[in-house]
Amino acid sequence: MKGMKMLLSIVLVLCLAGGLFAAGTKEQAPANDALKIAVLLPGKIDDVSWNQALYDGMRKIEKEMGDKVSVTYVEEVYEVADIEPALMDFASNGYDLIFGHGFQFMEPIIKVAEQFPNVNFALGTGYKTLPNTCVYDIHLGQGGYLMGVLAASISETGKIGVIGGADVSEIYRGHESYKLGAKSINPNIEIQEFYTGDWRDSAKAKEGALGMYDSGVDVIWHSGDGIGLGAVNAALDAGKYVLSNVVNQRVLAPENVVSGIDYDWDTAIRQIIDEILAGTFNTHDDKYYWLTVENGGLQVADYGPFADIIPQQAIDNVEKARKSLIDGSLVLPDFTK
Amino acid sequence: MTLDFIISLLGGTLRTSTPILLAALGQIYTQKSGILDLSVEGTMTVSCLAAFVAAFYSQSLFIGMLVAVVVGLMYSALMAFLCITIKANQVIAGTALTMLGTGLASFMYRVIFGIRELPPVIKSCQNLDFGFLSRIPIIGPILFTHNITIYIALGLVVVTWFVMNKTVFGLEVHAVGEYPRAADSKGIKVSVIRYASVLLGGMYSGLAGASMSLGFMNTYTDHMIAGRGFIAIAVVVFARWSPVKALGAALLFGGANTLQMRMQSIGVDIPNQLLQALPYILTVIVLLGVSKHVNFPAAFGVPYSRKDN
Repeated sequence: MKGMKMLLSIVLVLCLAGGLFAAGTKEQAPANDALKIAVLLPGKIDDVSWNQALYDGMRKIEKEMGDKVSVTYVEEVYEVADIEPALMDFASNGYDLIFGHGFQFMEPIIKVAEQFPNVNFALGTGYKTLPNTCVYDIHLGQGGYLMGVLAASISETGKIGVIGGADVSEIYRGHESYKLGAKSINPNIEIQEFYTGDWRDSAKAKEGALGMYDSGVDVIWHSGDGIGLGAVNAALDAGKYVLSNVVNQRVLAPENVVSGIDYDWDTAIRQIIDEILAGTFNTHDDKYYWLTVENGGLQVADYGPFADIIPQQAIDNVEKARKSLIDGSLVLPDFTK
Repeated sequence: MTLDFIISLLGGTLRTSTPILLAALGQIYTQKSGILDLSVEGTMTVSCLAAFVAAFYSQSLFIGMLVAVVVGLMYSALMAFLCITIKANQVIAGTALTMLGTGLASFMYRVIFGIRELPPVIKSCQNLDFGFLSRIPIIGPILFTHNITIYIALGLVVVTWFVMNKTVFGLEVHAVGEYPRAADSKGIKVSVIRYASVLLGGMYSGLAGASMSLGFMNTYTDHMIAGRGFIAIAVVVFARWSPVKALGAALLFGGANTLQMRMQSIGVDIPNQLLQALPYILTVIVLLGVSKHVNFPAAFGVPYSRKDN
């Protein structure tokens, strides 16, 4: 009897906990010969950050291409243990192209792509590819450089900060370029930096940012995701400037977000889809699709009301750096550890 | 190491420790009554959302906190039912409820708010001004410039100490945790006391959740609790179920976390990965130090039934 009760309660609890509330999917009735696309996101589509940028880009493509594509979105596929089954599920259900929007999708995509050679996969940042997979990524070094120039130009205390989740590949490059850009304006500038070690703990990032502001920092750029929300919130409390990343976050703190780096994913997505429709996707070797300042994938967010508040010289400095990135007169070092 | 650096560090320590302290204080009742409640993280997540939703729609932070406490109570009632009435394995029930809580909060957020152009935000608890107290040099900025949740947490240290050590209820909680059969034979209703202890723990966890979305931040995001519930459970053991020591332990953990971020910021020449691990390394070291002297309640983790021998 006791064993029975025990068993019953365990089954009950596991039923409650398992999968029931895992993820919200949004299905659309597909047109017959439409390209079936699945987009697997590690967070929410309205996170004002990493996931929203891809969602917005994809929505743009949906509007443009109309009946030619049908897109399904899945949120909160974060844990590696959930990724592989989700990929398998879509691959075996007749999807033509599956997006895994994050570095943690790399190993599962390579594994599943080997088993489904007729399905195409797109990986958001990473370094492994197969003929039926590709990587779309950001030259964050360029974005970081521009933000460094801007931060150093608008800082009055000569102290600026930068906050990131973890110092991995592109993020590290972004931060190092930020320092380089800042020093190109003011060689004596003091730059504070920290990594939270967690992409989603916004409160931790906020506490760190408050510490920076306390010590006299008056502009912070963040290279983050959930942690970015913490940095922006700290700026709101401290009444100081902050620069956003991925998506313009001025909506969160209208008086504090001066500008930022916006990612326009539609450039990369359009290229991938066009190649798949034309049948050239699997036949070329270079499987990397980059967002850069040159191709317009990386843009300086509009200054809004700050165009009249910050010195014109600051805006000119950023524009000058942006132009020299485009015409190739400024080439950033390849920061590797 | 300037004075400003130390003031900023200590102020930050208090803020960082608050949610952990709130949850830990509640778990003193729960654990002392003999129940290991691993659902704290889930309860905090659910209440964190509940507090935000209530505050968003009512435009009142007070109602937000009240709702968080009620939701914390209701959610921990599930835990109490599973491990007291059904006598389920407490580790499994607690873990499952934490998983359920994080998933449920994420799901409910989408159901309630849908997909919005602008993310919902509230005006969070403002920092209080204690008049001349806030203007005392050094002490003022460290102690008297925070939002209300910090002072609620500090007040609850005293309340919890009083209830556990100076009331009949506190004595009964000790009794059912140490030797439920003896307590039962003295006419103490073991399951009632245990229910009350778990529910009290849930109410504190509810406040802890509210302190994140209404106090620390001005919005709800998934995973914003980020393991603080589990840290709180460790803090209780660490503090050997004493509210005053729990304050110390929470401050130690919060302090280590704040310190490592400040050290990274000012460019101390230690790899950031090592600094990030500092609070956890410190926790392990202190746990090693105190573990010899930790006396868990004798009936800890054991369901009580009159039928068993």
